[in-house]
Amino acid sequence: MSNWESKQTEFTESILAGNEQAAVALARTSLEEGATPVEFFENCISPSLQDIGKRFETLDIFLPEMVTAADTVEKVNEDVINPAVAESQAGESMSLGKVLLATVQGDLHDIGKNMVGLMLKVNGFEVVDLGTNVPPADIVARAEQEQVDIIGMSALLTTCLPYMKDVCDFLEGKNIRDKYPVIIGGAATHPEIAEEMGANTHGGSAAEGVEKCKMLLGKL
Amino acid sequence: MVNAPKVDPELVASVLDKTETGPVIDEKDWDRGYINQTIRDLVEKYDITWDKNFYGVLADDALADRVFAAGFELAERSGLYCVDTNRRMVWTADELNQVINNAPTVVTAGEGKDQVTFKKRAVEENSRVGVIGGPYGIPFPEDLFVPVVTSYANEPLLDIVDLPSLQTTYGYSIRAESPWDQLAVWQEAGLTFEALERAGRPGMPIGCANSAASHLGELTTTSYGGFRQLDWHHNSIMSELKVSYADLIRAVHYVHTGSVSHNFYNTIFGGYVGGGDGMAVPIVAGMILLRASLWGESVNPGPSHAHLSCNTFPAMIPSQTVALQALARNTNLITSGFLRPVSGPCVKELFYEIAALVIAQVPSGISFTKAVHTATGRFPMHCTPLEARFAAQVTHAAEGLTRSEADPIVRKLVDKYKDNLNTANAGKPFTEAYDLDSLSPTNEWQGMYEEVCQEFELDFGLML
Repeated sequence: MSNWESKQTEFTESILAGNEQAAVALARTSLEEGATPVEFFENCISPSLQDIGKRFETLDIFLPEMVTAADTVEKVNEDVINPAVAESQAGESMSLGKVLLATVQGDLHDIGKNMVGLMLKVNGFEVVDLGTNVPPADIVARAEQEQVDIIGMSALLTTCLPYMKDVCDFLEGKNIRDKYPVIIGGAATHPEIAEEMGANTHGGSAAEGVEKCKMLLGKL
Repeated sequence: MVNAPKVDPELVASVLDKTETGPVIDEKDWDRGYINQTIRDLVEKYDITWDKNFYGVLADDALADRVFAAGFELAERSGLYCVDTNRRMVWTADELNQVINNAPTVVTAGEGKDQVTFKKRAVEENSRVGVIGGPYGIPFPEDLFVPVVTSYANEPLLDIVDLPSLQTTYGYSIRAESPWDQLAVWQEAGLTFEALERAGRPGMPIGCANSAASHLGELTTTSYGGFRQLDWHHNSIMSELKVSYADLIRAVHYVHTGSVSHNFYNTIFGGYVGGGDGMAVPIVAGMILLRASLWGESVNPGPSHAHLSCNTFPAMIPSQTVALQALARNTNLITSGFLRPVSGPCVKELFYEIAALVIAQVPSGISFTKAVHTATGRFPMHCTPLEARFAAQVTHAAEGLTRSEADPIVRKLVDKYKDNLNTANAGKPFTEAYDLDSLSPTNEWQGMYEEVCQEFELDFGLML
């Protein structure tokens, strides 16, 4: 398969415009021409999404465009990539890992968390978003249920920080702390707070959050 | 004998009813349809545009009026989203017109010799602009609470003192929506009254409460022996145009306790509202809807950058000026300017960020300045009264400026900091920027301040 550069440019424009038909068609054609699903993901989807993520970091595009792009890629995955992967013998996973995200108990603010979720998705992570005001026990239970690779928590309010520590304490209490790297973020947090709460690391921005998640899973 | 409520309870009931009877809607559809798409449509319909590279003060009355029309239409078409009932709260145009026409034009806070009054101002009106100063929720340890609040209250140019958040209460963690919230805010109230006594300003209005971000804190201490009716009680809605029961609970409490209420809404630049042109529209809608739903005497738009959390980013400045002008020209609302710079104490750029925003906002019709959410409020103890004093001095120096006079000054100031915004320097904490015995700036910080004051005189002819 050649000509990935022009395909990627076309794919980027299609997903930014929310043109599902064009994006799905391009993926189908590529696979029909002989590309494997993994090759298409690595050469087209992943670089396009990274490009879009970078444009959002510099605010050359805004959140709605990134949401549209992520939704369109989800459609491409559902219609073309996932079925092709299921059919292939290799059954290779293209996900970098599964991240659980939640705004902790007592806090209803979610825009920052949602931005992190989108940035993770566009960088190849699966995201399980539990929403806002999520009690610590629910976070731990869902992490187990979903078999996630990372637990990510957000708080805008300083008085919600103890609930982050609760999550780490619950993980310790259940002897599963080592199973789940924990990252925290949000306006109430900083690296020292992460240490105090017992988290593994801190994301100061959506972009940094993505890098730290890659680091936690040894994907950097 | 029950206090007479400050708003007719039947009106309050009719607004609460909107949370139970408005159309049910999915939150995603709200964000994408009622916010993003509607704002895009309105920006086009009302031709809201300016040079994207411009970062000064807009001075186009026709544009300001179109921004107002767009914001009013957003308020009418979308209303607010109640996150507890998943319903849209909808107001008619007639109801919204009553809101903006009947809003109070004067607000008084504080007691005795420390009482202050803020009045609605017009664009370019040469009249006094009030100043609130304080750590604005920036976390401080318990032993530094009294010194830091005293040091702000010692500043004679500050009309109202806003508070830090306690990091702990009696050595324990403060837990949202729990009895710890209550314990913390009672401690906060006690320590604040002690600080005001030390500063000799016992009647100074207090921006409160800050140690409990949940509504429990305010409900608890706006009570017997706690914060007073004439203190400065906070309330807010969330981004974008979302309200919770907790916000409405606070609002009803203030209505029935007769407490002065200040309301704010922070829209996100680069988020669902888009860029500068889009951001101006929900600022207008948000200020109208704050008054419609929370009944505060004054309102504040404190937008924040999606990544930097500040509101001093160049492209955000013209948007804030035109939205404030839109409100000043078309409503009775008492508006204000929030200062949320990236830089921190002992960083010279902090003064430039503050001055740029103040000089942009004052001729645009604000009634008071809120100073300062230093280093975007993200770093414990990273704030000092010196930058609040500076903000107050610049505020008063800008009172007589027209928009055209302000514009070149703002652009020169933005030039001095814009290239450093992405490498934010949070500077030094209060404990390193101030001498804790004398509660005065260190030589380093005082020296920077004096240098910048001199620059203002030489470069702009502004005497601080």
